[in-house]
Amino acid sequence: MFLAWNEMKSAKLRFLLIIGVLTLMSYLVFLLSGLANGLAELNREAVDQWRADAIVLSDESNINLPQSSMTIQAAQNISAKNKAQIAQVLLVARKRGTKIKESVAITGIQKDQFLMPKVSEGRAFNRINEVVADDSLKADGLKIGDKLNISSSDQKLIIVGFTKKAKFNAAPVLYTTLSTVQNIKYGNGNISRKGLINGVVLRDPNFANLKVASKLKLTPIESFIENMPGYTPQKISLDFMIYFLFVIVSVTIGIFLYVLTIQKVSIFGVMKAQGISSGFLIRSVIAQTFLLALFGVFVGFVLTTITGLFLPAAVPIQLNIPVLAVYGMIFIFVATLGSLFSVQTIVKIDPVKTIGG
Amino acid sequence: MSILKIQNASKIYGSGHTQVNALKPTHFTAETGELIAVIGPSGSGKSTFLTIAGGLQKPTEGSVLINGQDVTELSEKKRSMIRLSEVGFILQASNLIPYLTVDNQFRLLDKVKKGNMNPNEKDKLFNQLGIEDLIKKYPADLSGGEKQRVAIAKALYTKPSLLLADEPTASLDSNRAFEVISILSLEVKEKNKAAIMVTHDNRLTKYCDKVFVIIDGQLSQISDGDQAYAHLNSSD
Ligand SMILES: Nc1ncnc2c1ncn2[C@@H]1O[C@H](COP(=O)(O)OP(=O)(O)OP(=O)(O)O)[C@@H](O)[C@H]1O
Ligand SMILES: [Mg+2]
Repeated sequence: MFLAWNEMKSAKLRFLLIIGVLTLMSYLVFLLSGLANGLAELNREAVDQWRADAIVLSDESNINLPQSSMTIQAAQNISAKNKAQIAQVLLVARKRGTKIKESVAITGIQKDQFLMPKVSEGRAFNRINEVVADDSLKADGLKIGDKLNISSSDQKLIIVGFTKKAKFNAAPVLYTTLSTVQNIKYGNGNISRKGLINGVVLRDPNFANLKVASKLKLTPIESFIENMPGYTPQKISLDFMIYFLFVIVSVTIGIFLYVLTIQKVSIFGVMKAQGISSGFLIRSVIAQTFLLALFGVFVGFVLTTITGLFLPAAVPIQLNIPVLAVYGMIFIFVATLGSLFSVQTIVKIDPVKTIGG
Repeated sequence: MSILKIQNASKIYGSGHTQVNALKPTHFTAETGELIAVIGPSGSGKSTFLTIAGGLQKPTEGSVLINGQDVTELSEKKRSMIRLSEVGFILQASNLIPYLTVDNQFRLLDKVKKGNMNPNEKDKLFNQLGIEDLIKKYPADLSGGEKQRVAIAKALYTKPSLLLADEPTASLDSNRAFEVISILSLEVKEKNKAAIMVTHDNRLTKYCDKVFVIIDGQLSQISDGDQAYAHLNSSD
């Protein structure tokens, strides 16, 4: 640490530049992780609010809630302790008399079951066609009392309340009664299909032991989320970018440190001639890398936090401090790993060759 | 007791027709209290001899005993520990670390080894060498002679029993050169060390207890003690 630190003090510009590069890389890692997090959140925040363990959907639905269909009878036959019926249809809602349009997930639930969200503003729905909407819609200019026209249906909805964090597969959710959804889907008149819902959400840690009818499929909630259209490809792409960045970080700092080590061969040779061990020199190079990465990550973190404060709400970046901390540590670790490139060089330095004379 | 004992050591660099017999088979001992000069033309093998004596490299044949320990049988790691504790090198090229201030050069030695000079001894040494005002400077800001004096202080600081100096006075004016030799001589006599100094400077050999000459890798003693003085006087 002594050598590492003193060297950095005496060649400030050189080391500040390296820290600068590491800062930019850690900034990129942090923003990407924020983006991955934010995009995942867009897809799953409503489901996370349910605090559910599993979901039962029709086998044919390919684990896709809007495509699933089952009878209330079948739903009642599921023997889980804590279960809630859900109906859902994805449509476009337009504020009456305006051009404000938004794709929404109209989600029918029963008010007394656990899917009922906490109403943060206004009140819960009491009657058919009343909805509690995701409060991101407020940014589009929607407010309590607004009436909504629904594409491909003549039903008119009215917003009676808002709830926080209710996006399903990136679409704002409108929570309402089961019958509202059934009316939208099948029309007022079609009595024969009134008994249909989309699925049953389970809050039961022992769901794995449950048996469901052969036309139904029991899916853990995490795989349900992973099966949402776009969710997994998006997440894999971003995660891959982050992992690849870690490799680049390791190689880049490895090259920097290797060049620095090559420049210092004669100095290391002199120290080895005096009897200073290779181990001491290797530790000092590793300590130096660690310090550089630590500074880089710290500044990157500060930059990320500042950026987070100024990002417009429309940018789906969600900074999650524990995740950033983990990525920061991985960053420092892989950077330090990069310095191991130089170990062999240091071991091989022959003091006799380098001291000359 | 002999601090350094070299038995039948030789060094051959390379092989085939690029082979160089840098050191022919050599016997050599340095006893406590001895300041020994090695002179010889450029390329004659002086540095080779010194690096073998200090355990920096192994001889092709023969053995080298530092304080009774045969360093030719030790691993590089063990040899480096012996160098750190027993040997003080004053190198032909500067052995200062460019990114450490003079003061930190010494703190580095405290990091890697215990039992170095205490602050009083250190102050005294700095005064003798006239470097007490340089401690905040980096090597790049020192003159050639100042660098050499700091390098000498550095070699003495770890209290080695064997001091090896390659042209320690090369960039010093004659007053400083004499001063440096007398410091080395005093260290050797008072603290029971041995010192071997490679030099071109004939004026300095009169301070040495023995003088060796090396020509084409062949080491031979030309004088000892007062004889050295006489030898040089007669040749002047
Ligand atoms: N690593 C090496 N490989 C091959 N030959 C070498 C090597 N080191 C030294 N030599 C040769 O060995 C001989 C002795 O070299 P050495 O460095 O000991 O000379 P020196 O007496 O110290 O010279 P100077 O007074 O110029 O410092 C020279 O001919 C030199 O070319
Ligand atoms: Mg030489």
